[in-house]
Amino acid sequence: MPHSVPSSPKSTPKNGGNGLTKFTNCRVLKGDKLVDEDLWVNSVTGKVVRSQAAFYDDLCLPDETINLGGRILSPGFIECQLNGAFGFNFSTSLEPAVYAKKIKEVNKQLVKTGVTSYMPTITSQRSELYKSALPFLGPSGDYQVAEDGAESLGAHVEGPFLNPTKNGIHSVDVLREAQSFEDLVDCYGLSNITTDETGRPSSIKMITAAPELGQMTRLIPELTSRGVIYSIGHSEATYEEASAAIAAGATMITHLFNAMRPLHHRNPGIFGVLGIAESLPRPYFGIIADGEHLHPTTIKIAFNSHPDGFILVTDAMHMVGLPDGAYEWTNGDCTSHIVKKGPKLILEGSDKIAGSSITLIECVSNFLKWTGASIPQALRAVTTTPAAMLGLQGLKGCLDNGADADMVVLSESQTNDGLDLVVDEVWKFGTKVFSRQT
Amino acid sequence: MRLIIRDDSESASSYVANYIISRIKHFNPTTAHPFVLGLPTGSSPLGVYRILVEKYKAGEISFENVVTFNMDEYIGIPRDHPESYHSFMWKHFFSHVNVNPNHVHILDGNAPNLEAECVEYEAKIKRAGGIDLFLGGIGEDGHIAFNEPGSSLASRTRVKTLAYDTILANSRFFGNDLDKVPKMALTVGVQTVLEAREVVVVILGARKALALQKCIEQGVNHMWTLSSLQLHPHPMIVCDEDATLELQVKTVKYFKSIEKVAQTQGFEQILPSKLRTGASPVPQTVVDEVQSPNILAPQPVTSRFLQASPAAEYPVRSVSPDLVPDRMADRVGIPNISRRLTPQPEQQRVASVASVGA
Repeated sequence: MPHSVPSSPKSTPKNGGNGLTKFTNCRVLKGDKLVDEDLWVNSVTGKVVRSQAAFYDDLCLPDETINLGGRILSPGFIECQLNGAFGFNFSTSLEPAVYAKKIKEVNKQLVKTGVTSYMPTITSQRSELYKSALPFLGPSGDYQVAEDGAESLGAHVEGPFLNPTKNGIHSVDVLREAQSFEDLVDCYGLSNITTDETGRPSSIKMITAAPELGQMTRLIPELTSRGVIYSIGHSEATYEEASAAIAAGATMITHLFNAMRPLHHRNPGIFGVLGIAESLPRPYFGIIADGEHLHPTTIKIAFNSHPDGFILVTDAMHMVGLPDGAYEWTNGDCTSHIVKKGPKLILEGSDKIAGSSITLIECVSNFLKWTGASIPQALRAVTTTPAAMLGLQGLKGCLDNGADADMVVLSESQTNDGLDLVVDEVWKFGTKVFSRQT
Repeated sequence: MRLIIRDDSESASSYVANYIISRIKHFNPTTAHPFVLGLPTGSSPLGVYRILVEKYKAGEISFENVVTFNMDEYIGIPRDHPESYHSFMWKHFFSHVNVNPNHVHILDGNAPNLEAECVEYEAKIKRAGGIDLFLGGIGEDGHIAFNEPGSSLASRTRVKTLAYDTILANSRFFGNDLDKVPKMALTVGVQTVLEAREVVVVILGARKALALQKCIEQGVNHMWTLSSLQLHPHPMIVCDEDATLELQVKTVKYFKSIEKVAQTQGFEQILPSKLRTGASPVPQTVVDEVQSPNILAPQPVTSRFLQASPAAEYPVRSVSPDLVPDRMADRVGIPNISRRLTPQPEQQRVASVASVGA
């Protein structure tokens, strides 16, 4: 695991302390429950500490004890599909130094929304853009310190091996088919899709592609053997084709129901693989709970069909956090505009939904209101489940001993239409990086 | 012996917790002069720990200058096993209060040399100046710490085989699988407990009623090791009504009346002031020399027990002079007669004293 490589100190404790912080009087998300437990974190190692061992072995007491007054302590949120934020679109071609600077700014802003790690997502683009942008989007955990903010878990490339009939707002001109692994290398660049000799993981962590195009289904084992996750999406796949992709190693579905065939009773399509069918493992799936992409009841059906695979994603564009208006958007060859009206994003001159501009915590609150799910169930969809999808269980998305000390302090506020969760504090690698002004 | 009877387990636990807090406060411990507290595990003291934690969180007490010694620990299960006594203490007490980890002492059931661990534990207690207050609970068979029935009342910290009843009782914590229950433990000895300057035992529930009866109304008996408390100068047992089921009505009424009368007189049985502030020296047993006993060289079971009075605050009674028989030769009045006796009795005496002291 690249993330478990011992890394440099995540912060330097003040006043010569040991960097230990103890949270008390809090409800910690553990499995399916919120449990009344203390939690110890170490800001030097950036990890959750086995408190009993710290006490008996290291004879340590925490530098600081924080009474959370009964609030929720959740693992930091993991976002699997984020196209950009705070005015910066990951799918842009810029000078390397400028691009790197923009990423740093986004990381610092993004962490304030409770997202402590994420997968920067690049839409269907020309090969040159992948090659210039991807080197900056690889997993940053080992090099990241607390003050850097949110960390990348690796890039998500959504395209360009998509079905032109399910392109959504992706430019049809840049879409292509893959016949061999060389086609993928040709598109993304060899260094971005393979682990280099130093063992540094590839920039790309996940690929969304249509399995029915070219030889894509046959290429899935080639990807998974390199540690890249294959996600079905923007696809016309039938139930049979989707099942074949799952059998070949696909473990994820990108924004379920959107940009794919709907459920038909004679051919359940991609959604059908969530049934326990063909004796295949059921994949994880992303759900956009913004009230635009999906009807609340659809979300409820998807959740109940496979709760353990349910992942909330925003698919947010760089307009998230910006005022209403028309914003420029690089789309393959051409530049078009996306009109932002509140949380709605529409491609200019059409009625197509152009991603969202919602934050992950809003998705969690929506999900709570619409489905009557419990708070642990909702939080799992942005913590434990995406971590498991990425093979990072025990390290991210949980607060077990030895996990990364990425945490969100949440308070509940009762509104007219249900419960809202509010991000009060965000902690990265055991250090507080955001505190809400009240 | 003080026996404090409360209506239910909650108020009994509360009494003990408040008593400990008042003892610590009155003691006014400092870094150089810490309060040394002996601690038990098990179900009986749970309520006491809970109340102590509540009082700590309410800011009523600090454990900063409290040194703790635990009674016992299993052998052969990992220290962080959920049923280990390290885990118990962490979960119910240490993780919630400000006890300094350097002040915490628990026997290490995984020590490479268990015997050395036991000897060292006794030494640590001595270095800490002895235990000011040993809190304890008991088993249904009247065991204090893991001093099962039949344990020597002069025992010290050592390896102990658990009684079958105790293993059975503990199996509920190990998935009812007898094979997983530890069969051995390290435990402080009866004598170790008795050398504490004060012993407080909490006994709750009907299941413990017979043990309480044996310890209060019967004589000192190694089959009910708690009964050894009768030999301690300052023991106190706190129990709930259920635990008194086997006691005679007379006994219960007697102890209740004492407490009541004392209260109406505005007087409560309290420790001598020297003990309460901890200024007194470590209680010494009056035996010439206490050899730290161990498994290979156990202390002989003598009447040491009755001499082992830690009551240093009492005036030490002058001992009657030893009988030194004079010699008939002295009375006969024949000079030079003693020269005929070999060896010389005076020299003989000196030599024998020297050999005893060696």
